[in-house]
Amino acid sequence: MFEESMKKAILEWDEDGLKKMCQSTIENKEVSPVEIIKLIGKIMQFVGDRFEREEIFLPDLVGSANTVKAAIDEVLDPAIKIMGEERKTRGKVVLGTVESDVHSIGKDLVGSFLFASGFDIYNLGVDVPAIKFIEKAEEVGAQVIALSSLLTMSMDFQRQVIQELKERGLRNKYKVIVGGSPTSEEWAEKIGADGWADDAIEAVSLIKKLLT
Amino acid sequence: MKLNRINVLSKDELQTIHSATMELLSTVGIKIDAQDTRDLLEKHGAEIDQKTTFVKFPETLVKEQLKKVPNSFKLHGPDGTFNFEVNTISTQFATIGTPVKIYDPNNKNNVRKSLLEDMIKQIRVVDSLEHINNSHVDVWPNDVKYTALHAHAMYQWVKNTRKPYGLGCYGKVASQDMINMASIIVGGEKELINKPRLVGFFNPTSPLHFPQIMTNGLSIFAKYKQPTIIAPEALAGSSAPVTLAGLITQTSAETLGGIILAQLYNPGAPVFFGTVSCITDMRTGNSALGSIETALITTGVAQIARFYNIPSRGPGSITESKCFDLQNGFERLQTLMLAAQAGINYITCAGTYESTLAEALELLVIDDELAGVVKRALDGITVNENTIGLDVIEKVATAGKPGANFLGEKHTREHMKNELYIPKLIDRNRRTTWRKKGSKDIITTAREKVDHILQNFKPPEISAEIEAQLKEYIKNVEARSFEYYKKAEGISDSSISIAGTEIKADEK
Repeated sequence: MFEESMKKAILEWDEDGLKKMCQSTIENKEVSPVEIIKLIGKIMQFVGDRFEREEIFLPDLVGSANTVKAAIDEVLDPAIKIMGEERKTRGKVVLGTVESDVHSIGKDLVGSFLFASGFDIYNLGVDVPAIKFIEKAEEVGAQVIALSSLLTMSMDFQRQVIQELKERGLRNKYKVIVGGSPTSEEWAEKIGADGWADDAIEAVSLIKKLLT
Repeated sequence: MKLNRINVLSKDELQTIHSATMELLSTVGIKIDAQDTRDLLEKHGAEIDQKTTFVKFPETLVKEQLKKVPNSFKLHGPDGTFNFEVNTISTQFATIGTPVKIYDPNNKNNVRKSLLEDMIKQIRVVDSLEHINNSHVDVWPNDVKYTALHAHAMYQWVKNTRKPYGLGCYGKVASQDMINMASIIVGGEKELINKPRLVGFFNPTSPLHFPQIMTNGLSIFAKYKQPTIIAPEALAGSSAPVTLAGLITQTSAETLGGIILAQLYNPGAPVFFGTVSCITDMRTGNSALGSIETALITTGVAQIARFYNIPSRGPGSITESKCFDLQNGFERLQTLMLAAQAGINYITCAGTYESTLAEALELLVIDDELAGVVKRALDGITVNENTIGLDVIEKVATAGKPGANFLGEKHTREHMKNELYIPKLIDRNRRTTWRKKGSKDIITTAREKVDHILQNFKPPEISAEIEAQLKEYIKNVEARSFEYYKKAEGISDSSISIAGTEIKADEK
């Protein structure tokens, strides 16, 4: 019953409804926050499967993911923290468009897809200096750093992030992936990245592959 | 607003063509073979030259009969659950053509003679499509006896689709068979007349000739009020003047002649003002259906049909190409898009190529996709407060956090399906994903869709009693000889009277 109501709220993007539902369930100690997260994962898997079968489309997926994100950030994560526990995720990904480049939508799409697939996303926005990626990854204990670039002129800043990691002796701690229109598999290899993806769907399977 | 209609004739030019058409009908007329039809016309004021069999239609007769033509009608599938309206405003998509071959990648020529099993597949695929609403006896079953083909087709129609069907009104006997079999299927003539199931097809022979076999069939379709397409297939430069204005004038006279006959056979009989006229290729003498001039002719005829307030029929998705090349693609979209923009109400020929002589089920599903694209184009751009969406623009632009975009907004979800046509076959993947999925071209994707449709097809159920009656009917048709038909249609001795099929002018 609870699962059905949650599913309905997620599919209908009922952010307030979902938050209230989670809040009262936790307060009444009916279901633990960790269990709720598991249920959400199951529901998002269902949404993802429908998307793959082309029964629903991008906005449906992103809207549901946004709804879930609000409930996790505002209700479930704080509740888990109070209990002194940590939420298990599929992986933590720090994501951003590299320095000197302000293009955002492709990278945001990758973020939405990853989130919908059960990853935690730390979207740093655009024109992000190399050092910021590393600081955030260190802070949140990420496994993956994902670098976007739409301009041939800004591509080289992807290399710079990898360079910075090496200089700090952190290169092997993170999987670094790159993407964006002018990039390619050859480019990724050339700058010593761990992988490259052509679009958002590919990015999800790439990260899944890298983390297994 | 909706996409603007395209026109090729000004108001004055329409009037000029109308006047010339009236002059042609009243001074030259149409050669009509059938004696009883000539008599019927004479009774209504037409002037007959018994020697040449040309019938002159005075303008008063034309005007009087045009008043009786309905400007809309509905077509129903066998069980009546599926139906759609044909009128002078909307756009419907259908098959029709004369494919006697079918694409077959296993054949060394990529094409072979079409068989009954191909015809069944085509009916099933049309049944499953989203935008193509009607199939006709297109794919020719070369393995079925010619004189019983129509009866087998009717049987396969009810066994394999929920959509309406169409057949040429070729002769009195065959047309009556189709009506009789349709009546068995739908539960009686009354039901068939009230809710028409069949689209007839009447082709005058250009220039200005109605063969007896065709008027014989038209009289039956009109009697039972099954909508009939009156469509000359004149070729500019060989069976009509090379000038497009001349062709349109000549074919308008032919089409109006057919429409008037239908009204005399049975007042109020539903008809389409049709065209499938094109040009003669001046290098080969062949017809050029996929030519840009065909699209111009179709556009002109759409305007003429509107002038007379009658639903129009024209060809789209037509090409002379013998393979799946760029010519096939651009000619089919060029004729389809322009027919739709011209405002043709019933666009036909989906699934065909090689001047409609060949069929490919792959092209049929691609044409369904194109019909979706074209429908989207016709819808144009809707402008109102909600579609402008000032609120959502402000919300996303000022969100101030990374990752904010329009994708997850309710405004997007609410409008996406109306605003964006989401294709099923057209590939928009990035190269890596496309490669990963097998580097498929659209024909491969289309073939997969055809296979999926055919593998998952669930045929409609019909009662054992109807099935038995239809089989018995086919048996009787099979037993007839070709001579029987010739005699019955009066082809050899000009008698067209056979038991049970006499048409009286005042019969409704």
